[in-house]
Amino acid sequence: MKRDHLTPAERFAAYQRGEPLDRLPCVPIVGNTAARVVGVKVSAFRGNGRLIADAQIAAYRRFGYDVIRIFTDLYTQAEAMGAKIHYPADETAYLAAPAITSVEEIASLQPADPRRDGNLPQHLEAMERTLQAVGQEVSVNGALTGPFTTASFLIGTEQLVRLTLKNPAAVHQLCEVACQGALVYAGAILDTGCTPSLTDAMCSTTVISPRQFKEFGQPYLQRLVDFIHGRGRSVTLHICGKTAPIWEAMADTGADCLSIDNAADLETAKLKVGHRVRLMGNVAPSEIMLQGTPAQVREAVRACIRKAGNNPKGLVVASGCSLPVETPFANIDAMLDAVREIGWPIRREALN
Amino acid sequence: MSDQSESLFHALSDSVVGMDEDRTRQLSLQAVNQGVDALSAIEHGLVDGMNRAGKFFETEEYFIPELLLCSDAMYVGLDILRPHLKQSENQVRHKIVMGVVEGDTHDIGKNLVKIMLEASGFEIVDLGRDIPPQRFVDEAVKVQASVIALSTLMTTTMDGMAEVIQLLHQANLRGRFKVIVGGGPISQSFASRIGADGYAAGAPAAVKLVKQLVGVAA
Repeated sequence: MKRDHLTPAERFAAYQRGEPLDRLPCVPIVGNTAARVVGVKVSAFRGNGRLIADAQIAAYRRFGYDVIRIFTDLYTQAEAMGAKIHYPADETAYLAAPAITSVEEIASLQPADPRRDGNLPQHLEAMERTLQAVGQEVSVNGALTGPFTTASFLIGTEQLVRLTLKNPAAVHQLCEVACQGALVYAGAILDTGCTPSLTDAMCSTTVISPRQFKEFGQPYLQRLVDFIHGRGRSVTLHICGKTAPIWEAMADTGADCLSIDNAADLETAKLKVGHRVRLMGNVAPSEIMLQGTPAQVREAVRACIRKAGNNPKGLVVASGCSLPVETPFANIDAMLDAVREIGWPIRREALN
Repeated sequence: MSDQSESLFHALSDSVVGMDEDRTRQLSLQAVNQGVDALSAIEHGLVDGMNRAGKFFETEEYFIPELLLCSDAMYVGLDILRPHLKQSENQVRHKIVMGVVEGDTHDIGKNLVKIMLEASGFEIVDLGRDIPPQRFVDEAVKVQASVIALSTLMTTTMDGMAEVIQLLHQANLRGRFKVIVGGGPISQSFASRIGADGYAAGAPAAVKLVKQLVGVAA
C-alpha cells in the first residue's frame, strides 16, 4: 500500500494552510480497540495510565492515523464525582449506578480533583506519556465528556431528561457542577500539553429537543470551548446520534470541528455549517467498521469524501463514533488505505 | 357513546399529550365517578393520547423527555381506570418479555418501546437491564410469551442477542417465540444475520413490527 509522506502534525498544518499534502486527515476513532493491538484485556486499562499510553501509541504506529485520543469510556469524570462504574473483564465499562438518586442530593456533588479522584490521574498520565513518546509527530487529545452527559451519569439519564421539563433549575445545577469539574479537568489536560476533545452524547436530538440542547447543552459547551480557546487550542465537538437540527447551535459553541455520527448526513452538514466548521465523520462504527468487509469500508470512505471532501472548512475522514472494541484491523487499515488512494487533491477517478 | 363521554375522552387524550399528570388523574377519577366505560376511557382517552404523542415523537416535535412525561400521565390514568375494567375485558393479551442484554445498562430506548407496546395493549414482562441470555429464554417460557424483545446500545453486547436465539434453537423452542432486536448499533442486516424475526429503528416502529409478527390488527 502507498505510504504516507507527511507526519499527522505536518498533514494537519499543511491542510490548514491550503498547502500540498499527500492525503486527507483520517481518524478511525480507536478507544478500547487499542487493547487488541497490545493483546491485553480491556479491563487492564483501569487505573493503568502507562498501559493506556502503550496501547494507544502502539495502535497509532500500527495504523498510522492522524489523531490519538486517550479514551476508554465516557464515564471517567462522572466516576470521579461518585458514579459507580462496572468494568467487565474484557469489554467497555458501563454505568452501574448514578452518583445520586434525588434532586436534594445535587448540592452534595463536588467537581472532581483530576490529580486525585477516580481514574482521572491515570488518564492524565496516559496523556503525558503518549505526548512524550509521539507528540512531536501527532496531535494527542484527551477525551472530555460534556456537562449534560456527565449530569446524566450523575443522576441517571431518565431522571435527568424528566427534570429538563419538570425542574429545569435542578438540571442547570447539575450541569453547573459537571461543567466546573470539566473545566478543571480540561485545564489539567491542557497542562499535560494535550488538547481536550469534547463528546456530549446525551445532547443528541435522538434524546433531547433542539430547544433543550440550546438550554442545557450549548451554554456549558460554550464555556468549555472558550476556555480551551483561551489556552490557544482548537476544539472538536462530537455528539452521537441525530444532530442535524442542532448543527448551527453546535457551531455556535465556537467548536472548530464537528464530529458527525453516521445517523446524520455529511453532505447536508456541509451545506448547513461547512463554511463555519471543519467536519469529521462518518463511517458507521457498528454496521460497517465492525460488521462490514474492507470493500464496504472503502466504499463508505469514498461516500464520505464524495459528500464532504470539498467542505469549505475541511474534512477529517473518520468513524461516526468510537470504534467497537472488536473492530477488525483489516477494516481500520482499509479506511486509511482508501483515503491514501484517493489522495489530495482528490483523485476524482478514485472516488467511484 | 354519548357526547359527554366523548368530550371526556378528548380531554383525557389531550391531558396525556399535554404531559399533565394532575389533569389526567382528575379526568380519570371523573370518568370513574360518572360511570363512564373504563375500557373506552382507556382506549379513546389515554391510549389515544399516547399514540398521538408517539406520532409527535416520530415527526420530531416530541423527544424522549416529552414522551416520558406523556407516559407518566398515561400510567396515572391507567392505575385509576384499570380496576374498573369488566372481568371479560381483561382478556388474554400477548405477552412480551423484554430487556437490555447483559453488558449494557442503557435502557431508555427499551423503556420507550415498553411504553408504546403497553399503550397498544400488549402485556410487558420487563426484565430490566444487563440481563444474561438464558434469563430471556427462561422467562419467556415461564410466562408463555409471544415475543422476546432484546435491546442494546453497545456493540459489545450484540453477541448476547445472537446467543438468545442460539439458546432457543438448542432448547427446541425457537418456533415458539418471535424475537425482535433494536438499539443504536443494530441494523436490519444484523437482525437478519443472527436470525431474529424483526428489527425496528424506534419505538413506534417496534409497535407496528410486533403487531405484524403476532398477527393483530394495526
